[in-house]
Formats: sequence, structure tokens, C-alpha cells
Amino acid sequence: MADNLYLLIILVPFFIALVNLILPVNIRKILTFLALLYGLYLSYQLYVVQPATENFYFEPVFAADQLSIFTLIFIQILSVIILIFSLKGLEKQIERAFFVLYPMTVAFCNGVVISENMIVFLAFWGMSGITLYLFALLGRTADTPQTAKKTFIIVGGSDAFLLMGFVLMGFIHAGNEWSLSAIHISLNSGWAIVAFIFVLMAAFAKAGGFPMHTWVPQFSKDAPVESAAFLPASLDKLLGIYLLARMVTTLFSIDLLVNMIIVTLGALTVITAVMMAMIQHNGRKLLGYHAVSQVGYMIMGVGSGSVLAFAGGLFHMINHTIYKSNLFLTLGSVEKKTQSNNLDDLGGLGRVMPITFIMALIGALSISGIPPFNGFFSKWMIYQGLLQKTAELTAGYQIWMLVCLILAIFGSALTLASFMKFIHAVFLGQLPENLKTVKETVFNHWLATGLLSLLCIVFGIFAVQIPLRLFIAPIVAEQGWAVLGFPGLYKPLLIVLLFLVIFLIGWLVFMLTRNIRYDDVYLGGMSPSEKFRVLGTEFYNEVRSMQPFKALYDAAEKRFFDVYELGKNLTFALSGLLQKLHPGQLQLYLLYILIGTLIFIWVI
Amino acid sequence: MIAEYLFFILIFPGLLFTAVLGLIVGWVDRKVSARFQFRVGPPFFQNFNDFFKLLGKETIIVKDSIHYMFITAPLIAFGMLVIVSVMVGTALFYNQGFGGDIIVIMYLLMVYSVMVIFGGASSGNVYSSIGAGREIKLLLGDELVFILITLVPIIQSGYQLQLTEILQFQFMNGAVIASLSGFIAFVLGLIAIQAKMTLPPFHIPEAETELVEGPLMEYSGGLLAFWKLNHFMMYVVFPLLLILLFLGGFHLQGLGILWAVLKYLLIVVLIIIIKNTNPRVRIDSALNFFWKYATPLAFVAVILAVLGV
Repeated sequence: MADNLYLLIILVPFFIALVNLILPVNIRKILTFLALLYGLYLSYQLYVVQPATENFYFEPVFAADQLSIFTLIFIQILSVIILIFSLKGLEKQIERAFFVLYPMTVAFCNGVVISENMIVFLAFWGMSGITLYLFALLGRTADTPQTAKKTFIIVGGSDAFLLMGFVLMGFIHAGNEWSLSAIHISLNSGWAIVAFIFVLMAAFAKAGGFPMHTWVPQFSKDAPVESAAFLPASLDKLLGIYLLARMVTTLFSIDLLVNMIIVTLGALTVITAVMMAMIQHNGRKLLGYHAVSQVGYMIMGVGSGSVLAFAGGLFHMINHTIYKSNLFLTLGSVEKKTQSNNLDDLGGLGRVMPITFIMALIGALSISGIPPFNGFFSKWMIYQGLLQKTAELTAGYQIWMLVCLILAIFGSALTLASFMKFIHAVFLGQLPENLKTVKETVFNHWLATGLLSLLCIVFGIFAVQIPLRLFIAPIVAEQGWAVLGFPGLYKPLLIVLLFLVIFLIGWLVFMLTRNIRYDDVYLGGMSPSEKFRVLGTEFYNEVRSMQPFKALYDAAEKRFFDVYELGKNLTFALSGLLQKLHPGQLQLYLLYILIGTLIFIWVI
Repeated sequence: MIAEYLFFILIFPGLLFTAVLGLIVGWVDRKVSARFQFRVGPPFFQNFNDFFKLLGKETIIVKDSIHYMFITAPLIAFGMLVIVSVMVGTALFYNQGFGGDIIVIMYLLMVYSVMVIFGGASSGNVYSSIGAGREIKLLLGDELVFILITLVPIIQSGYQLQLTEILQFQFMNGAVIASLSGFIAFVLGLIAIQAKMTLPPFHIPEAETELVEGPLMEYSGGLLAFWKLNHFMMYVVFPLLLILLFLGGFHLQGLGILWAVLKYLLIVVLIIIIKNTNPRVRIDSALNFFWKYATPLAFVAVILAVLGV
């Protein structure tokens, strides 16, 4: 029965999560794995069949268009791969809870993307936020409670805004309409703009867009590394950008100024997060900031109003989930072998963990947008789309758009710089004495990262043939937009093949004339010692201590720009004011009663 | 088709052309630099002799380095430079697009710095690691200026990204450098490529006197030969890129050939003069210069280009 696909894809993982509560750990693993594989099969079925809308008492509840199916398929792919990584090497204390939460999260995320009814959407959206909070609580560091609270307040608080936004949208739209695909609101009234901002806040909080991003780096640092790869790096990105894409395509019709504001927020996300990432000493926090900065590209692409950039933004979304979970997982392998994620303690691990090193390298080059990996292709699409859009604008808007574009392109140079530091600090440079005995990681770890790296390469070289043709082009066609055409020119396969020819010639010349001797490192006569170790983390001290960045960094380290801290201070200030109004003096309370009565009488 | 591509990549304007012209221009550089210092300078074939002699020398590899990275880094940088020179060269000489546009080139050129860092840092030498850190900081400095100045011809040609379209625009409307924005961008571009080629005053990563060639310190024999060759090949790639973006390309008939040679020599000589008249700056002053002086100026050029000046 085709119309059961919707229910099955939610209920199967949810049921497994419930059953897992009482089963032994090893059976939990097997069941979860089978359930997710079945989910992958179901999403493929959905892709092929595309069943009609599922009604419940004549109210449409579930539906799937190309955008939801695309998101759904990548939710399944990512969760299967990250599960492969989690099968072995998880900490014993959290293993039992992990395999309950994992399928449950997948069930809720699936629910979000196939919901047609606003209330059902909200319910699944909120529940996926709760599992995020529960994952944060699984962390084993001292800051875990703080982080979990912060995550819950930002993500849960934005759910409240989403609720208000949906209610407003329901009322603005004529009739009592709660079906997502039927609503289409133009931003011409004040309430429509308020609703737009509320829904945008929810999408930004989930995906980690500026200024709602501050929970992502902390979650990445304190939660278990598998869940950092699973939620902020993959599934939450998919959900947040899915909602944003829905907003700009069907829910709202937006004009140029709104486009420009969204693009500006995207550019700010890129640049602020990457500047923070550069100075981090904790590997996971560094990756967390990059998980934020890459969202900026997706926001810019999806929100710009250009078809090519929209497609590029969606493509960047899946590319990001692939390489960022790859990076988190490789760092996780390193962390499990060395018991540290502090960049100052690591170094030279490329010698002892070559496979992990290569996978991390592919992830790092992809995220920095080095051709021919996948990150470059989507960025290239976004830039072209933005330039196409710029050509249509007046001079003032052109300069505004170009500033955003320059920030984005420079952001990817900063990303490269930041990952050079990461790779250098973890894998290159000098190996500390205490890490000389480290061995390569276990099979399932590099199977998972290997699959992700393979996707990075395949999606980079065959971008047009595989992801764009199968997934993105149908979405664009469904919106009734023109077929994607590139004003630029980029032939990754040709470049790679010809590069290989040149590389082989160079290799042959070297091999034919080689005359190799192995010797110790040369330090001008001194013997190498721990004292001379160069940490990659020192790379950007000059940038850190340069004005005006120094002032900005100092302010940022005092959490001056953190929405959560600002909101907290505001709340405490308000409650402090209320506290002052309640000193416990009877006379004062009598006065309040008198004033209240007078106001009441006056109103009547 | 395949034969044509192989000709492009192996002979002209790819491997053979770039390598031979690079080594010859390298000789010009050495000769002119020697004249600046009242020396005689090397004979014409010196660079070729050096290259083949280095190939025959012993290659020393550090025992506990990451061997595969150490060996492949110069070869990857070599392959990447050839690809870029083919992209630029086919547009200039055949008026034909090949494999990539200006954004692709911008990102491919970053690979060179990446390989310098990987090659240097994989050896485990501390001097190389310090040099690698400086290399990436220098990239941060010059990249912002480089992005801005490449935007100027893109904007002037009506947001065209393909090299051939930018050239076509200049054939129709005169070279980009003839406008004020183009001129500012060209001058800044000259400085930015000075940093991209790590020539004085921006040879901060290699800094012979303090870091002993930095990232290249542990390289010897054949691998060092490739690094040297890469360095000379950049003398071809970057000037040709500047000619393409700002000087309106080549008209290869009659007097046009003379003009082409003059344009190329003009840029090379300017690079050599800057190289020989400036001492090395500290990395923080280089960043200061690029971010606080060159970037705002380049941004002014972008605004002027939008306004059509």
C-alpha cells in the first residue's frame, strides 16, 4: 500500500526506539541499523512512487513534494552512515540511552519533512528539539548542564516563536487554513512581516544562522561527538534549511529588500563564525563554529531569490552535512584514540593514523571549497547565482550585494586558513612523546568516514550527473522555474583527468631519477625536542592581537554578542525590577491595590 | 578532441611551454637581479642546468615524516599550476574556454599555498611549521585583495565569469586598465601577486635568514627541483592572468606579437624591480598593509567599477 509509506517511515524508527528501551545493547544496535536501512528503502520508494497527500478526517496531514523527499533521503543516508560509526567505540555509560534517542530523532525529523499540516509540523519540530536537548545531556564534560540548558532555551524558545508565526499566518491567510502548501502570504502588512520574522528565527535557530547560532559550538564541544555529527552538523541543518526553503518558495512571497536582508544575515553568519573558529583551541568547538559559518552560504543561496543560487544553496546543504559529519567523525576517532580534543595536545598524528588523516583531509579540502571536491561546486553555483542577481540590480544594491559576495568568498579563504590550522595541529607537525604509541582507529570508524569521503569526491566530480540531475533539478522544475544553466564554466572531470596526466608525468620523472636516503630532521645542528614543538593553534596570534579584531574578539570572548547571554541579562534585569517592587511592606501593596482599582475604574 | 586536449596540456600552453618559458624568465629575473647588485649574473642555460642537476641529486626524506604527503605535495602543486596555465593560455592564445572560469582559477590558486603548507609541515621540522603558518597568514592577506581586484573586470564586463567573455569585452571596449578602477585594480593586483609568488618584500614564509627556506627546508634532490620549477612557472601563470584580466589579452598578428611580448615583459620587469628594491616585511606588517590599506583601496576600485568609472 503506497499511502502507508508516510506512516511507516515515522512509525518504524519510533517503534524501534520504544522497543529498544528494554532490550540489551547489542540487539538495540542491530535493530536500529535494520530500521534505518528500512527507512532508506522507504524513502527510495517515496522517491519512486510519490504518493498522494494523506488525509485524516478530510484534513491533509502528510504530503511529500520533491523538496521533502530530497531532504528525507539525505536524512536517511546521513543517519545510516553516522550509525555505522556509532556501532563501536561509544562510551559505555551513554550507549543504552544513545540507541533509544537515535532512532527516535530520525522518526521526528522524518515527521517534520513530510508534514503537511502546520500543527503536525510543529509537534514534530518541537520533539526533534527535545531529543536534541536529551543528546546534549549525554555529554560527559563539566559544562554539559549549562550547554544543554542553553541549547534547550534557544531551540525551544524559537519553537515558541514558530508557533506564534504559524498562528499569525493561519489568521492572515483567508479562511481557517492549516495546510502548509495552501498558504501563501505576501509581506505587505505589519503582521505578515512579524510572522515572517518569527518563522525565520525558528529556521535560523535550528540551522544555526546568525544571530541564533550560539548553541552550536557549545553543543559540539560538550555533547558526545557522534551526536555532534548527527544533529547540529547534519539533521538540524537539513531541517532548518528545509524550512527556509519552504518559506522563500511557497509560504511567503518576498521582495528584493527581504532577499537582501537574508543575504546579509547569511554573509554575517559566514564571516563572524569563521573569525571565531580561527582562534579556537578546542577542535570540536572549531568544527562547531564552522558548522555555523557554512550555514551562511546556504542562507545566502536559498534566500537570494536567484534560481541558480537557490539550487546551489540546497546542494550546499547536503554537501555540508556530508563533509561536516565526516570532519566531526574523524576528530571523534582521534579523540577516542588520544583522549583529547584539545588542539594544543595533539600533533603529527598523520604518521600513526594515515587513514583517518586522509579522510579528514578530504573533509577539510571540501569545506574550504577546493576543486574538485563537492564544497566547491555548490559554492561556485551560489556565487554565480548571486552575480547573476547582482547584474539585475541598481548601483546601490549592486554594491550591497557585492559586499556580501566578497565576504562570502573571503570567508572560504578564512575557512581554508582555519582548517590548515586544524590539520596542522592534529595531523602534521611534530608528534608529542605521549602519542607515539597511538594506533589507527577501528574498522567501522573508517568505513563511515570513508563512505562520507567518497560522497565528497563523487558529488564534487559528478555533481551535474548525480546530485543535480536526480535531486535538485526536480525541485527547481516543480517550482516552475527555468532549467539550471551556468553562466560560468567548470568541468571537474576534465580537470581531474588532465591533472592526473600531469601528476603522473611528474611522478615518473621523480621515480626514474630517484635516489632516496632516509635521515633525521635537520634543525641547524640542534637535536629535536618537545620544547621546539610548533602548535598550529599559534598560527593566528597576529590576527588575534591586531586592531580592530582584538577589541571584537575580546568582546566576543566576554559573550557580548551572544543572543542567549543578552536575553539572560535582560530577563534577570526585568525580574530584578519586579523583585524591587516586592519589598514586603504592607503599605506599598495597599498602594498597588489602590492604583490598580483606579485604573480599573478608569478603564470601565 | 582528446589529442587536442593532450596538446593543450602537454605542449602549448601547458606543461612544456610554461616550464620552458618559466625557466627562461627565471634567467631574466636572475640576470636583472644580479645587475641590481653589480654582479654579472648566470648564463642563459643556468636554470635548465640547475633543474636537471637537482633531479640527479640525492633526495633526503625525514625518517618520521609523512612520506606520501612529503613526496606528493610538490607534484600536486606542479599539476595544479599546469592546469591553471592551460586555462589562462587557451583563453589568451586560442580564445577558447577550457575547464574553468575565473572563480575556479581563484580557488585553484589557493591549492598552491595548501601544498606548500602540507609539504613543509609533513616533514616534522619546526622551521617548516613556522613557515607554513606564515604562508597561510600571507594567503589571508593577499587573497582579500585578489578577490576584490578580480571582481573589477567581472563587473566591467557586465558580470561575465568566463575568461573568453572577459577578453571579448576588452576587444570591444578597450582594456580594463584604461579606466580608473581598472588602473587601481591592476596596481594592487601586481602587489597581490608579488605576495602570491612569495617574492620580496613578501618572502616571509621562506625567509632564508631566519627560517632557512621555511617549508622547503627539508626538500632536496628531485623534489626540490619540482619546487623550483613551480616557482618559475608562476612567473608565467600570474603575468598572463593579469594580462588577461586587465591588459586586454593578445592580438597575435603583425605588430600585435611585439605588443604581446612587451606587455608580458612589462609585468615581469615590474615584478623584478619591486622584488629587488624592497626588504622583507614582518608578517604582521604585511597583514596590516593588505587589510588596512590595500583592501579599502581595492574596494574603492570595485565601487568605481560599479559606477562605471
